[in-house]
Amino acid sequence: MASVLSTVAPQFDDAEQQRAAATLGMWIFLATEILFFGVLFAAYTLTRVRHPEAFAAGSRLTHVTLASLNTGVLLTSSLTMALAGHAARTGARRALVAWLGLTVALGAGFLAIKGIEYRLDFTEHLVPALNFAYAGPRADQVELFFFVYFLVTGVHALHVFIGVAAIAAIAVMASRRAFTPAYFTPVEVTGLYWHLVDIVWLFVYPLLYLVSRA
Amino acid sequence: MTGPRNDVLVWLALLALLLLTLGSAYVPLGRFNTTLHLAIAATQAALVLLFSMHLRTAHPLLRAVAAVGFFGIAILIALSLADVMTR
Repeated sequence: MASVLSTVAPQFDDAEQQRAAATLGMWIFLATEILFFGVLFAAYTLTRVRHPEAFAAGSRLTHVTLASLNTGVLLTSSLTMALAGHAARTGARRALVAWLGLTVALGAGFLAIKGIEYRLDFTEHLVPALNFAYAGPRADQVELFFFVYFLVTGVHALHVFIGVAAIAAIAVMASRRAFTPAYFTPVEVTGLYWHLVDIVWLFVYPLLYLVSRA
Repeated sequence: MTGPRNDVLVWLALLALLLLTLGSAYVPLGRFNTTLHLAIAATQAALVLLFSMHLRTAHPLLRAVAAVGFFGIAILIALSLADVMTR
C-alpha cells in the first residue's frame, strides 16, 4: 500500500479522484487541440469551396501511396498504444515497455515516411514560396492548396513528434518501475493524446490526398 | 472495461475503412466522393473515441468535454460557409 499512497498528491482524497482529475484535465486540453485543428480545417474548407478545381488538381499531385501507408502505420501505432494501456492495467511491466517502444518506433516511422514525402514534394517543385512551379492552369490557386497542405501536415507532424517524445519518456519511466496497476495515469493520458493525433490524421488523409482521384 | 481483443477488432475495422475510403476515391461519384470520405472518417473517429479513448464507458462529464470541441468546429465551419456561400 505504501507505493500507492506515495503516488497520491496531497490535494486528492484518493488515487481514483486523482486519476479522474488528470483524465478530465487531459480531455479539456484535447478539446482545445480539436478547436486548434478545427481552425485549420475551416481554412481548408473555405479555400476549397472558393477554388474547387485547383484543390482537385493539387490533390492529384500529392503522394497517395505513401500517405495511405502512413495512415496504416498511425492506426497500428494506436493499437500498440491501447495494448500498452492493458499491460499497464495488469501490471505487465515488460509488455508495457515493449508496446510503448513499438509505438515510438511506429510514430518515428510515420515521421520518416512523411519526410520522404516532403523530399519528393521538394524535388517536384511543390513547395510554396520556396520552389513552387506548376505549368497547368490556376497555378496560384494550386500553390494555395500546397500552402494548406504543408500547414496542416506540418502542424500534424509536429504533434506526432511531441507524441513520440512523450511516449518515449513514459517508456523510460515504465522501465524504471514508475507504474503499478494502482497508478498508471501517465500511460493513460499520453494514450489519449496519441489517439487524438490519430483522429486528426483520419480527416487530413482523405481531405488532402483523395480529393479528385477518380 | 474492454479487453485487448476489442482493440484488435477496432484496429481491423479501422484498416478496412481505410481501404474502403481509398478504394472509393477511384470510383467516380461526383460530389459524393467527398461525402463518403467524410462519413468514413467520422466513423473511424467515432471508433477511436468510443473504444480506444474509452468514451463508451467514460463519465458523462468527459463525453461532454469531448463533444464541446467537435461542436465548436461544427459551428465554426457552418457559420463561415453560411457567410462565404451566400455572398
